[in-house]
Amino acid sequence: MNLLTALAIGLLFAAGIFQILRRNLIRAAIGLVLISNAINLFLFSVGAYNGIAAAYANATGQISDPLPQALVLTAIVISMGGFAFVLSLLYVISTRYKTSDSDQVTGLKN
Amino acid sequence: MTVLPPLLLPLLGVPLTLFLRKKRKIQSALALTLMLAALGATLALLATVLTTGEPVTVQLGRWPAPFGITLTADPLAVFMLLMAHLVLAAGFVYAAGSTEKVVQYPTFYPLFLALATGLTGAFLTGDLFTLFVFAEVIVISGAALTAMADDRYGVEAAYKYFYISTLASAFFLLGIGSLHVSYGTLNLADLATRIAENPSAPLTMAGLAFLTATFLIKGAVFPFHFWQPDFHAAAPTAVSAMLSSLVVKVGVYGLLRLTTLLFAGQTGLLPSVLVVLGVVGVIYGGFGAAGTHNAKRMLAYSTLAQIGFMLVGIGWGTPLSLAAALVFTFNHALVKAAMLMLAGAMASRAAVKSASFEVVVGVGKYHPFAGVLFLLGGLALAGVPPLNGFISKLLIFWSGVQAAQYLPLAVIGVASLVTLVYVVRSFVKIWFEANPEAKPKAGDRLWAPAFLIALSLGLGLWSQPLVALAQYVTDWLGDPSLYILSILR
Repeated sequence: MNLLTALAIGLLFAAGIFQILRRNLIRAAIGLVLISNAINLFLFSVGAYNGIAAAYANATGQISDPLPQALVLTAIVISMGGFAFVLSLLYVISTRYKTSDSDQVTGLKN
Repeated sequence: MTVLPPLLLPLLGVPLTLFLRKKRKIQSALALTLMLAALGATLALLATVLTTGEPVTVQLGRWPAPFGITLTADPLAVFMLLMAHLVLAAGFVYAAGSTEKVVQYPTFYPLFLALATGLTGAFLTGDLFTLFVFAEVIVISGAALTAMADDRYGVEAAYKYFYISTLASAFFLLGIGSLHVSYGTLNLADLATRIAENPSAPLTMAGLAFLTATFLIKGAVFPFHFWQPDFHAAAPTAVSAMLSSLVVKVGVYGLLRLTTLLFAGQTGLLPSVLVVLGVVGVIYGGFGAAGTHNAKRMLAYSTLAQIGFMLVGIGWGTPLSLAAALVFTFNHALVKAAMLMLAGAMASRAAVKSASFEVVVGVGKYHPFAGVLFLLGGLALAGVPPLNGFISKLLIFWSGVQAAQYLPLAVIGVASLVTLVYVVRSFVKIWFEANPEAKPKAGDRLWAPAFLIALSLGLGLWSQPLVALAQYVTDWLGDPSLYILSILR
């Protein structure tokens, strides 16, 4: 299970990096989401395999670490807001240039 | 409880100014009042820390230290906070007198106050994850402010910045995860103790590498800087002054915390990396600034060079060089904010609103006072006595001589002469070249840059208080156990 999770996270990461390196800005934005999800899973797995009982008071068995879960919740919210913001910026850019090819969005070069 | 007001006042302002979005004048006055009050609270905090000689710490929700969120105003935090709030207050004064369209938008002040909150929180927090959250607040508000700038390319610049910063946040989270899996805590003091006890846990060095990468991106250090000139040149003037003087300092602050607290004594190659990147940054930023055709862009490149000096100071790591880096950080914030404001004020007086040299050439003819300020600021940037930039460079060079680092010293010494070239060139272009299209025109008010330049002149003529304060901070940084004990008791 540990190995499988690690491989899945690694795969997600690789896909994200591949998308980030594409020229299309929308693909790049999707790559960003893949990476942030890979990181959320990584952060989650930091506390996942110490125990299986949830961290209630009086819980029996080995309690899993609740802190990474709280961190992941915060990180998910932030990355979702960030993704919405990136998409709205992309919307403005793509309507202005009529393309989402990063080689043709050249306003800043001059 | 004196830690909270500097953070809560701007935070409170965010919803309040949003409610007052229809009443422009009240909104702007309220934002300015809150920021000045926050500056007052910071001064009170500084006085408390200096008189008691101990940091002021608050455990939010009264959860004891390693479990809850800690806000702590230790000497380093309070030093950075003083710098941030002085410049932020000037930024709000500038925004109140700005003629840009962007300051009329209802969300300008809420976002600007959010930026102030993020900066304050990032310096005050004693917890790695809270630092991440406040860094995100800075990134989002800064990007949104730039996206709505008058500059046509603001959106592109904001996209670029936001994208890179999100990747930096990704590295930050990876670093946080790596350290948490090795040590099971994110409180800076607790983490520093556990790292010192067992520096060879599996993912420690990975965590250090991720955090270093994060702070290098945040600080726009040489190979990670490609978003910075675009972003700082496209932002609204009041905001770009904050971005180029304060927001990049979050990276410097983070590196200081890494080298003097979290990984004190275990940093391995990091100091040498910082020195090399700093030296390259000084060269690259200097020549980049000399090669641009836009006053704001020139100043953005110059930030790259100046951050290089701070990194060199941190990399050498002797008490004197750390103090020099701190003094440099403080002085650079004042001068760079004032210079960007002056460049923006001249752009607002040009025929077309742009800081490009083709447009602003000769505009200064009718504004001699701004010219005096720009020349003083430029000389401070170049490190000419009797301005504060001279003190910062003198301290850096002196600490380099003491640490016997002659090669980097010679390189940055020569490269820093380029500063004089581009500063004087832009001054001559704006104030002395003839331009028939330049007409007397009202523009942004000059109160804020005048205040900042007066402050830098004052700190050049009487630098002793600032240097003494920086040395006090360095003494504190020299012994990480002081910080740890003050939080964990």
